[in-house]
Amino acid sequence: MSAPAAPALPPPSRPPAWLWILPRVALLLSSVAIAVLLWLLHRSEVDEQHQALIGDALWIEQDLRFHLDRHVDLLRSLGLDRVSNQIDAQKYELRARHILGSGEGIVQILFVDASGAVRSTLPVQSAERMVGEALGTSPAPDTFRLAMQLGTPQYSSAYHVVGQDAQFEIHVPLFYGNQFAGAMVGIYSLRTLLAQLVPWWFAERYKLNVVDDNRAVLASKTNVTARDAVDEHTVPFDPPGHGLMLQLLSYGGSTPMLPLLLVATIIALSMAIVWSLRALRRHILGRHEAERALRAEHAFRKAMEDSLVTGMVAVDHEGRVSYVNPAFCRMVGWPEDELTGHAPPLPFWPPEETQRPPGWGGAENSPPPGPGRELRLLRKDGERIDTLVHEAPLIDASGTQTGWLASVLDITARKRAEELARAQQERLQLTSRLVTMGELASTLAHELNQPLAAIASYNAGCLNRLEHDDYDRAEIIEASRKLGTQAQRAGQIIRRIHEFVRRSAPKRAACDLAAVIEDAVGLIEPDARKRQVRFALDLPQPLPRVLADRGMIEQVILNLLRNAIDAMQETAPAQRVAAIGVGREDGTLVVGVADRGCGIGPEVAAKLFAPFFTTKETGMGMGLNICRSIVELHQGQLWFEPREGGGTVFRFSLPLAAP
Amino acid sequence: MSEPRAHIVDDDEAIRDAISWLFRSRGVANSTWPSAEAFLDSYRPDLVGCLVLDVRMDGMSGLELFDRLLTRGCVMPVIFLTGHGDVPLAVAALKKGAYDFIEKPFNDNELVNRVLEALAIDAAHRQNLANKASLESRLATLTAREREVMELILAGRLNKLIADELSIAVRTVEVHRARIFEKMRVRSAVELSQLLPPKR
Repeated sequence: MSAPAAPALPPPSRPPAWLWILPRVALLLSSVAIAVLLWLLHRSEVDEQHQALIGDALWIEQDLRFHLDRHVDLLRSLGLDRVSNQIDAQKYELRARHILGSGEGIVQILFVDASGAVRSTLPVQSAERMVGEALGTSPAPDTFRLAMQLGTPQYSSAYHVVGQDAQFEIHVPLFYGNQFAGAMVGIYSLRTLLAQLVPWWFAERYKLNVVDDNRAVLASKTNVTARDAVDEHTVPFDPPGHGLMLQLLSYGGSTPMLPLLLVATIIALSMAIVWSLRALRRHILGRHEAERALRAEHAFRKAMEDSLVTGMVAVDHEGRVSYVNPAFCRMVGWPEDELTGHAPPLPFWPPEETQRPPGWGGAENSPPPGPGRELRLLRKDGERIDTLVHEAPLIDASGTQTGWLASVLDITARKRAEELARAQQERLQLTSRLVTMGELASTLAHELNQPLAAIASYNAGCLNRLEHDDYDRAEIIEASRKLGTQAQRAGQIIRRIHEFVRRSAPKRAACDLAAVIEDAVGLIEPDARKRQVRFALDLPQPLPRVLADRGMIEQVILNLLRNAIDAMQETAPAQRVAAIGVGREDGTLVVGVADRGCGIGPEVAAKLFAPFFTTKETGMGMGLNICRSIVELHQGQLWFEPREGGGTVFRFSLPLAAP
Repeated sequence: MSEPRAHIVDDDEAIRDAISWLFRSRGVANSTWPSAEAFLDSYRPDLVGCLVLDVRMDGMSGLELFDRLLTRGCVMPVIFLTGHGDVPLAVAALKKGAYDFIEKPFNDNELVNRVLEALAIDAAHRQNLANKASLESRLATLTAREREVMELILAGRLNKLIADELSIAVRTVEVHRARIFEKMRVRSAVELSQLLPPKR
């Protein structure tokens, strides 16, 4: 769009409320969904861990039972071999020690005979292994009895022993030839059992407790530093029986990194979304503020444009009007809607004007020359107005020229005033010339009388001769010739007067300054003669021509000559010489008029060129003022300086005419 | 004594020449002078005729020249040539005894007529002067007694009364009377009284 500004902006756009609510709700819902998902994920993981816990608990229970069952077999085999006397005591001890050395939780092997007396203890009981008083004797007689009666291996209840340990026993009944022959008793240390049978990797993950039915921990194994357990599973540790349970505690262990990372990512992304939403909102609010400011600015500019008295017109490259302001519409009287979009020829162009500016229907794209130009425009009512137009290229945001913008100033009134002032100046000059002529009238009349008197005399003389027939032909011819000369002389005077006062439009033309000076001198000479002033003319020949209006320059010279004559009234008659000289200076001719008067005092000099300032009794005070304006009109200068040897020289310069 | 002529004093050569030509066409003898000073330089009391003076001239004006001539006893009639603005000057000149003034441009032969009149007046004046001079010389020849007798004759006394008054003989009075008539070149007492205007 090449127009500098659209006449009106669209109404302010406020984003609908839902636009703000929707992303918030969506964000909230997605947060909830993600939370639920995470929770579910967590749950499933916990479940899974729990299942694994249960599996592991069952596995360790099975493993322990397997070992214990194997020990039962080993003990039974050993016991039977002893009962059957197939092995001697030495061999028995070797095998028992082998079982003990397997390091699978069994700490003591006893052989009890059918009467219940301990016949062999390996290793020999130590003080530390003393059974607690409260818990009865070892091996436990009731378990022995039960094993004997049932004929199956029986486990005793666990009991505390010295050294924070707990022990239980297995009684393996021995039958030799259907005869109860005693029992093999294995004493297990729970602590050792766990230490030796629970594998290291298991201990890395869980804490394994052996608890009794009072939930008192009898033994435990773990490599995990103690902290609050997150999960547990308890399975009955049945083979030893009697309420022992295996309690498996899980500490959560190493939480897997991937879900954590996922959660962190999701949280980070959610925060990023929240942040970007906030930033977006801030940005949009900023845009809103900018738009509001722009709107205010636009309103201000519009008011400014409307209040301007300078007309503004924008045209595109085709010369189509893209914008006009109200001032221009008022100026040319065309309404805005008729002008906007109008293609050339534009209605405000007077048909007689052919020189159109580049933007205004002209073809060329060259920038308009000069600071401004005067153009004549056509009003709708047919009246012509003078305008001063300044043009500037119209540049859009991307820097390309889209047309021209012109500011138009109505200078009709100014032009008229100038015209009037010029006319008045002309009238003033003419009046001044007439006044000058009036002052010279009496001497000029005398001057004109001279040739007329001579003519009359020659004529009368000729008639006298002719009437009396006593004439000499040659004499008459001579007299007639002289008469003609005098008639020419009279004519010359009349011509000078006429040329001087002739009212004509100022016309500058190349003219011969010497002739102008001679005419001026011719007009004033009678007056000068009467006042005993002589002229000394120094006119080098040939003089280059100057560009000037002859009448005006003659007026200047005449005024200066009259001033010179007036200045010398107090001078001795012999000194009364007005010198007129012409010289060339830097492309100008300088005319000097010098007198031998009393000079010009500083007080007078200051006001010399002011209008209505005069030192003469009957002066009008306009002479030098007019002289100066005439010379300045000719691009010249008028000044004065003291003359060497007394008096004043007035000088003025005039530009030379082009050769 | 030089010949009577019109003396034209004008600084304008054309005017001088034209007037001179006009005068000659009417047979008026004339001479021209380019300035008042030039005329004054060559002025001699025996110049006769009349003067035609331009009032306005470079240098000495016509009126000034007129004043100068008056002081030098010039009696030639003076005709002034004036422009139309100079009438008051001319009137002043008339009061001082100028003969006339003519306004330029003048009417053909009017100037010549005036000049001719002036020349005639000058001639008459000179004649008058000459007569006066001869009377004086005749009176100068009379003796003292004859003068006394002539006074009484002019007073209208008869011879007898004159003789009584002067205490001389009647006869002597008669002789004196005859001698007076002879010397004054008159034939009667009436002629004598015409010649000599009565004294105040």
